[in-house]
Amino acid sequence: MYGGGNTFEGIKTDSITLEDPIKLAEFEARIERGEKIEPTDWMPQLYRKQLIRMIEQHGHSEIIGALPEGTWITRAPGFKRKMALMAKVQDEVGHAQLLYSAAETLGKSREQMIDDLITGKSKYSNIFNYPTFTWADCCFISWLVDAGAIVNQLANAKGSYGPYCRALDRICAEESFHLKYGHHCVIYLASGTKKQRDMFQEALNRWWPPMMHFFGPSDKISTHTEVLMKWKVKMGTNDDMRNQFLDMYVPKIWELGFTIPDPKLKKNIETNLPAGQAGRWEYTEPDWEEFKRVINGDGPCNKERLEVRRVAEERGKWVREALKTPKTKYVMPLA
Amino acid sequence: MNSLDPRVSRLPQVGQEGKIFPKAPLDQFGTYEVFVQSKEGKPFQHEGIVHAPNLELAYVLAKETFTRRFTCVSLYVVDTRDVFVSPLTDGNRNVYDLLDDVNDDEGKNKFEIYHLAKRGKQHMYAGTVVAASVGGALSKAKAQFGKEKIVYNVWAIETSNIRFTQHEERELWLTLPEKKFRDAAEYKGGGKLKNFLESSSKS
Repeated sequence: MYGGGNTFEGIKTDSITLEDPIKLAEFEARIERGEKIEPTDWMPQLYRKQLIRMIEQHGHSEIIGALPEGTWITRAPGFKRKMALMAKVQDEVGHAQLLYSAAETLGKSREQMIDDLITGKSKYSNIFNYPTFTWADCCFISWLVDAGAIVNQLANAKGSYGPYCRALDRICAEESFHLKYGHHCVIYLASGTKKQRDMFQEALNRWWPPMMHFFGPSDKISTHTEVLMKWKVKMGTNDDMRNQFLDMYVPKIWELGFTIPDPKLKKNIETNLPAGQAGRWEYTEPDWEEFKRVINGDGPCNKERLEVRRVAEERGKWVREALKTPKTKYVMPLA
Repeated sequence: MNSLDPRVSRLPQVGQEGKIFPKAPLDQFGTYEVFVQSKEGKPFQHEGIVHAPNLELAYVLAKETFTRRFTCVSLYVVDTRDVFVSPLTDGNRNVYDLLDDVNDDEGKNKFEIYHLAKRGKQHMYAGTVVAASVGGALSKAKAQFGKEKIVYNVWAIETSNIRFTQHEERELWLTLPEKKFRDAAEYKGGGKLKNFLESSSKS
């Protein structure tokens, strides 16, 4: 899973004017030709900085995202569901390893990223700051949060930075099981007893607002992203990604007879759009003040998520100490 | 800590909340490159890295990180510092044209050679050569596998530095096909969904 194609902090584009114009033109021409940028290539400072942020936050989202689902492993209904959920959670943590490695090729060390997560300096996907009260909440994450993540990841896999694209190709291949598994869980609840149906409907009511936040602030209020789109760091606007998600999954939710808690939600087929897109979804404007508040630390689970991560780091300390040896050395990965 | 998750509530209190102390330089594991062979007869391919305190643990972590899912028959790891890396070229420039010829026929060291055939892709195994030094190995690699296609980047790894998969370790991956619960194709909800839709349209 993944925390949206956005990076939560505003960007300053003034550093671009300080770059060598010839190198910058070559760099942009390479991206224009559809070629990937590799770690040893010249790149503008802003490109490097923005990619580190984005990939690092993506990695953190995998680690933190494993927590709300992981808590349900012991209580998953039945042996098969336990096995599957365990495999899924292990995948998410594995994805974080791949992403951290990709970010490291840009010059930030793994340990620095881990520290920045714990101290709250780096962000992660907002949606994991909400609690999973019931098994149905866990199913919502497995199916729909993963679905949203895949929309973002498939887009970003076509980006310009080689190591990130390679990590994403691998991640997307593994995610196909998550999505099918999640849908399977929800179909079972939908076709079960009234209590099971109600349980998922309640989860849907709880998770819909954070799901709409998941793709990041509306384009109307989002910070300047043109240059990031041109450099193929960002592959679509937040609203494009949200619209694509709604297009693919709202019909599937309705098919199961559930109600989405937004009376204004409907597809406007008359909107003028580029070829290939049939229409644009209309919805109640998500509460962006809440989004900001939660991102900045004041959500129901922010404190617990970071504390779990910090305790894990502290408790693993003696193992790392015991394994210390001057024979190994941290170096940047090759590709 | 008060939490919905009983395991979190039971966590011991250690260190200081929200605070992490700066790490000593050695408290950063080394970096190891991971190469995987997905099927018998297919070449090894570079997959990524792991951080580990030694080569043996790097091997274990690599197995977990890179071969939990898709087929794998063999895997090896090497310290990143033991990989010679050439410059990266583009367009029509073959990287071998930038490297000086070194003639050291006397050598007996084996080197694994990896090529980057397209930017954005993984480095693939090209072949093994015998030479006295990296320079000699690259000259031989150029003569043996560097002429046909443009190569943008070349890696040379001295074979003796590699932690290979031993013959008896190959059974590590024998159970992969049995783990069907990790397979998207195992989650066919279609029948149940169809029955549900039919019964709900009747009522």
